[in-house]
Amino acid sequence: MEQTESLAEHHETRAETPKKRVGEVAFSVLLLLFSAAVLIAAYQIAGFTSISSPGAFPLGVGLVLLLSSGKILLELRHKRASDEPSWAGSCKRFCAEHFPLRNVILILLAVLYLAAIQWATFYVATFVFLLLAITFLRKGRPVSALLISALSVGLIYLMFTLAFSVYLP
Amino acid sequence: MSETLSYLLMAWTTPELMLLTALGTFAGIYIGAIPGLSVTMAVSILVSFTFAWDVNDALALIVGIFIGGVYGGSRSAILLNIPGAPSSISTAFDGYPLAKLGEAGRAIGLSTVMSVIGGLVGVIVLACAAPVIGDLALKFAPRDYFLIAAIGLLLVGSLAAGSLAKGIFAASLGAVIGLVGMDPVTAQGRFTLGQVELMGGIHYVVVMIGLFGVAEAFYQLHNLDVAPVRQKVDKIIPSIAMVLKYLPLSIRTSVIGVLVGALPGVGGDIAALMAYDHAKRTVKNPSRPFGEGAYEGLVAPETANSSAVGGAYVPMLTLGIPGDAVTAVIIGALVIHGLNPGPMLMVESPHIFWFTVGNLALANIFLLIFGLMGIRLFAKMVEMPKAVLIPLILVLCVVGSYSINSSMTEVYWMLGFGLLGYFLKAYGFQVGPVILGVILGPMMDTSYRQAMASVGDSPVELVKELLTNPLSLLLTLGIVLILLSKTPLMGLIKKRKTAHG
Repeated sequence: MEQTESLAEHHETRAETPKKRVGEVAFSVLLLLFSAAVLIAAYQIAGFTSISSPGAFPLGVGLVLLLSSGKILLELRHKRASDEPSWAGSCKRFCAEHFPLRNVILILLAVLYLAAIQWATFYVATFVFLLLAITFLRKGRPVSALLISALSVGLIYLMFTLAFSVYLP
Repeated sequence: MSETLSYLLMAWTTPELMLLTALGTFAGIYIGAIPGLSVTMAVSILVSFTFAWDVNDALALIVGIFIGGVYGGSRSAILLNIPGAPSSISTAFDGYPLAKLGEAGRAIGLSTVMSVIGGLVGVIVLACAAPVIGDLALKFAPRDYFLIAAIGLLLVGSLAAGSLAKGIFAASLGAVIGLVGMDPVTAQGRFTLGQVELMGGIHYVVVMIGLFGVAEAFYQLHNLDVAPVRQKVDKIIPSIAMVLKYLPLSIRTSVIGVLVGALPGVGGDIAALMAYDHAKRTVKNPSRPFGEGAYEGLVAPETANSSAVGGAYVPMLTLGIPGDAVTAVIIGALVIHGLNPGPMLMVESPHIFWFTVGNLALANIFLLIFGLMGIRLFAKMVEMPKAVLIPLILVLCVVGSYSINSSMTEVYWMLGFGLLGYFLKAYGFQVGPVILGVILGPMMDTSYRQAMASVGDSPVELVKELLTNPLSLLLTLGIVLILLSKTPLMGLIKKRKTAHG
């Protein structure tokens, strides 16, 4: 699927200069900073002691990361500015595009689910997570969500404990 | 010889293996067809579940899912105009117009038969080429492995995405993740941030499940409200005359597919696009104009993406270098089961190679059977609401990553990689190169250090060897060419050529 998007994007570059996505500059700067941090961490492994030291290849990779993230940042120069002129407006659009309420709530539910596995046991936490997530994403119909969740937990038990012999959390 | 034959027929003669291959192929068709579920995602999660299994059982199921999944993507490409997998993007070009013309059944039938033809060509090439390449590979020096892996990362970076820089960044990021932990030679910690927990490294299955499972699930939330469109499906099985008519084209595009698939890092998506382009250029009188429902436009990508599967296994089994993202995951599965993909695999465990060849052929036969039936059930499965599917995928990801070490730490890492993948996808990065980087990074590190040690740490000597050894020179030239093709210089040369031509 992502290939479709990249092809579409590629097509777009041919047709007209693409626009910067909201937060793209900030993300690219973060990547650059991350690359610099990797390079420093790679240097700390063995410095420049030997060309075949444990740190030599990581240093090379760190350098490639830094160069490519620099190029990614430079490539943004060719893109048109995003429509949003103000910083607050950009922030708002960033949230609307990448973190619409539905995504935020599901990510939070997923995090809570992981935390709940520890104290509420895997089966109970999974059942509650599925029930809440399905009801929320479908905007209602809790009874069928209840049935689907119960059936799924039952299937997970049968498949993973009996067929796959996998240790469950 | 008889031993080889018994390994080759093992999947055909053992009921358990046959059943698992059938099950995998059947499930693969549906996984591939449901937009949002990918073969890589399914295989990544499955690898963690099949830890405790016998290696043959695990491989049979994985092979089935791989073959079924590559084909399954074409179903939704034809019926919904949504490619279920990247390898079926070009199938939608003519498949969907055919469905709109009321020929959905014929399109599905033709794509099934062509996928099987492509798949079998891929298997034959794998069976013939891999032993030869395997023998040659024994003579490869560490520097050659380093160069082949570098070509793989460059190819996946340059061909898969619009921006070479983004592709290279993603691959290098993967390499850094793969290098985290204790150095296998000196036992020194690398990228561990002083944490003892990180000395063991980050398990690649966790990275795979995070990037392909969780990230994709979160990303699919954007398409939650897209309603599928139903198409009428009638006659499915294509006539023999029709199959024979397109046989020459299918053989040509199968060869393209298997060759492209065998290139390290390049998979069925590129193979299908190249085959489609080949059909467009060489077929003078298509059944209809390309893009408006030409059968040729369906035959070419479908044969190529299926034959690319056999092709992708060649570098994986002979060199230990994945042909695409799925074979990168399968390498992980082989390593978990104590096998060593690479030139020694053919020497130490030839049974795995011949078993895989026989198993791939069997999966193609099951594909033919399942592909030509079960359309009604299929339509229902594709319409399975994402609101149910996404939470279920998340639960499977949790189970999969926990089962690796029976520890919640892996689950938290998985979620972290999921969020990282979500952002990378949002800003036009592909996650496939990251996985290849995770697998190839440590391998390149080892090869590089061995190559350096063999020339007494002298870069001048290494350059000399690169320029004097024919294979190393060829590989070096390959890298230079890939890099040059992405510079403005190549654009200028092409412009001048067109002006003169």
